[in-house]
Amino acid sequence: MALVVGAPASMAQGADSVEGQTYVIGTDTTFAPFEFRQNGELTGIDMDILHAIAEDEGFQVEVRSLGFSAALAALSANQVDGVIAGMSITDERKQIYDFSEPYFESGVQMAVAKDDEAIKGYEDLKGKTVVAKTGSEGETYAKSIAEQYGFTVKSLDQSATMYESVKAGSAVAVFDDYPVLAYGIAQGNGLKTVTDKVPGGSYGFAVNKGENTALLAAFNDGLAELKANGEYQKILDKYLADPTASTPGNFFDLAVKSFPALMTGLGNTLGVTAISFAIAMALGLIFGFFKISGNIVLRGIATTFVNIFRGTPLLLWAFMFYFGLPQLTGWDISVWTAGILTLSLNAGAYVAEIVRGGIQSVDPGQLEAARSLGLGYGKSMQKVVIPQAFKMMTPSLINQLIISLKDSSLLLAIGFAELLYQGQQIYAANFRVTETLLIVGVIYFVAIMALTKLANYADKRFNK
Amino acid sequence: MSTASEMNSQVKIQVTDLHKSFGSNNVLQGIDLEIREGEVLCVIGPSGSGKSTLLRCLNKLEDITSGTVVVDGFDVTDPKVDINEVRRHVGMVFQHFNLFPHMSVAENIMLAPVELKKMNRTEARAKALELLERVGLKEKADARPASLSGGQKQRVAIARALAMSPGIMLFDEATSALDPEMVGEVLQVIKELADSGMTMVLVTHEMGFAREVADRVVFMADGVVCEQGKPEDLFGNPQQARTQDFLSKVL
Repeated sequence: MALVVGAPASMAQGADSVEGQTYVIGTDTTFAPFEFRQNGELTGIDMDILHAIAEDEGFQVEVRSLGFSAALAALSANQVDGVIAGMSITDERKQIYDFSEPYFESGVQMAVAKDDEAIKGYEDLKGKTVVAKTGSEGETYAKSIAEQYGFTVKSLDQSATMYESVKAGSAVAVFDDYPVLAYGIAQGNGLKTVTDKVPGGSYGFAVNKGENTALLAAFNDGLAELKANGEYQKILDKYLADPTASTPGNFFDLAVKSFPALMTGLGNTLGVTAISFAIAMALGLIFGFFKISGNIVLRGIATTFVNIFRGTPLLLWAFMFYFGLPQLTGWDISVWTAGILTLSLNAGAYVAEIVRGGIQSVDPGQLEAARSLGLGYGKSMQKVVIPQAFKMMTPSLINQLIISLKDSSLLLAIGFAELLYQGQQIYAANFRVTETLLIVGVIYFVAIMALTKLANYADKRFNK
Repeated sequence: MSTASEMNSQVKIQVTDLHKSFGSNNVLQGIDLEIREGEVLCVIGPSGSGKSTLLRCLNKLEDITSGTVVVDGFDVTDPKVDINEVRRHVGMVFQHFNLFPHMSVAENIMLAPVELKKMNRTEARAKALELLERVGLKEKADARPASLSGGQKQRVAIARALAMSPGIMLFDEATSALDPEMVGEVLQVIKELADSGMTMVLVTHEMGFAREVADRVVFMADGVVCEQGKPEDLFGNPQQARTQDFLSKVL
């Protein structure tokens, strides 16, 4: 890497080499009009610019929509090659990332609820709470004037949630990047602006400092090309001049429109839960038997396993496996792998306890009777103890399966495209948070009811 | 049974200086015992005397602290001896029956012969029905254990213990958990087994029954054999003060 940096010849060579390459690019989930989902497809200014440049320069991109903070974490972990996420170029960020030429001149603006007549300027904010997006320019600006005008800044992760908290009244105003606000207001997000925009920084495409120089050079090249041939202005106009993204009218339209994306999400939720639970059962059986073993070492291993994964939050392991492990080991860990590791180890710890409890609840006389007939320990467990233990474990196992299914929604934090994540994508684009969450909730409820019925049927069928 | 025939018959179980402790509790403190083929031995004594522990050491359901137990020529304390092989020749009946509740009556009896590859399922089923007929429960072959009375459960448990055609049967207080009206039917089955020439060791509280079926009665107290002899001698003319004291309380 050091050889490449500062050697113009190899830089040029590097720039050529993007052709035919595939780069993984991280982005935000919820930053309309820069990135958002429309009919399941990720679209927006960032996406259009990225794809146009990729086409122009002859490389492929695989976009991972992770969320702003997660995308940056993924970049640091080398899980992605670059990030384009409506990210302002700041001196702080320049310490760790190399930025492209600015591709968008932004600025911050304040918005309040549409029917709010009390807030007409910053001076009306005294004693109130406002929201801004974590790590955004809006947050920096709001904090810089907070003392002067006497208000408090609360930081949230997504534009849509910020707007909801203003509409719900838990904050009186939101500070956000003006194109995002303008787009949201045009979409009918229930807000209005009352102050002028504050000219601010510019957005850039980022790679890790000193890495992927060829990609960065290609991005700059392509951007210059797009600006020269007018394509760039067309993209901006498409989203900012006339944002006619179709917003479904009534609740039924919304449900119908969002259904395909939500079904994809449900599929991923069920898939990751099924695989993880199968692994958790295997882990749980092994460690459950270790726990009742006479061998102190095996018991110690099982107790340690159970205590670690029962004693720490699931979300921590999701971050650890997706962001931490690749940095520690250099392995490429997909979001599926990280998700399955997280869910299966967590559920495995609980299943181990269920298995231990189930086996210990079988009368010891059962094992003695089997052993006295001359059956070995393994055979006795298999034919006599486990069938009885399993019967007692079934309700707890069904319970754990449902908990795991619901816990899988936490994987949205690492950008796993499960059901709730898909819901977020939808309301990030149309700002209809409550209705979308209601639809997602109904789908979860129906799926879990169906699963419970199925599991109870299987229980009756096999444990008669 | 004459003295001469005792001398001639083969030794089935030889217990030598058997000790068994649970932690600091020394339950068996040096037992020496010899059981001959066809002999019916009843072990009596107060609770906590170590009767059941002695019985459970004979097929190594309890780990043996020291001493030796030789069954059919195999030293069960020798780690090289396959204890599962020894147990196939020693049937055991428990106080609480320990039938397998997830299997039918016939399946309980078929389990060992089928799993240990001694018989195929058809043969094992025929054998199970034959054994059930012997204990008078052939019509219950396909019932679940939960639907049986206590006496019926214990008769099935005896049939199960006989499934591998053992040469020795151990009974651990086989009638203690039964309602009084069911004791008779179980004792009847045990008596028929005794009359058929089976080598048996019974831990029991049924003194009348011990007197009737036993060839020899062993009285245990505090982890040792206090006194033993023919039932008419031990019950009729006990020599030891402990024996006299115990019998005065239970008879």
